[in-house]
Amino acid sequence: MTVGPSAAAAAYQAIAKIGAESAATGATSGAAGAADFSQFLSQAMDNAVSTMKGGEQMAAKQATGQTDVVSVVNAINSAELTLDTVVAVRDKVIAAYQNIMQMPI
Amino acid sequence: MDLATSMLVAASGMRAQSSRMRIIAENIANANSTAANASTDPYRRKIPTITSAFDRELNATVVKAGQPVQDASDFRTQYDPGNPAADKQGYVKLPNVNSLVEIMDMREAQTSYEANVNVLDASKTMLSRTIDLLTK
Repeated sequence: MTVGPSAAAAAYQAIAKIGAESAATGATSGAAGAADFSQFLSQAMDNAVSTMKGGEQMAAKQATGQTDVVSVVNAINSAELTLDTVVAVRDKVIAAYQNIMQMPI
Repeated sequence: MDLATSMLVAASGMRAQSSRMRIIAENIANANSTAANASTDPYRRKIPTITSAFDRELNATVVKAGQPVQDASDFRTQYDPGNPAADKQGYVKLPNVNSLVEIMDMREAQTSYEANVNVLDASKTMLSRTIDLLTK
């Protein structure tokens, strides 16, 4: 899988930073909230990456006959669902970002 | 996540049914295996066992294939004096495998496996549909 999850995480953090900067004029709790959000996102990304790796490892094991096909199907299924979730969240974040950028000032 | 857990539980059922299927295959394949001589027994039919076990990691009850049990019923006998495994009366002991019983067992394993596949499929569809809510 050549999707760069670290790049996506960096993008999320950049967006969270933008949020933090714009919230800096407001309450200080806004900045803390942004940090939490980026933490949450990077944790979610870490989980997603490890799930994807698990799927790949299972597929490799199946190729060498070390595991049964049910485990492979399970691992690939959960990897697929994780990727779908990550992609959906990314699309939402980018849509929100674009909405803000297109806002007439 | 309950749906992810149900997928893993269904997978454990599939694994148990496939190991049951393996034992049935052994029985059918060995239905005519005689012993090398009259003093030893031929292949004895194995009965697949399936037990439930609580998985602490999943926090759910999964299925496990237990150790197969030997069928203690009598062997079939057949009159065949020329066979090296025949006794003094000319009877050969054949395995206590009944093909009809094995075929029924096989059908049951197949149906059960398919039921588990359907559970897995339904759980996956439910999860996917939920994720789809985000993309709209």
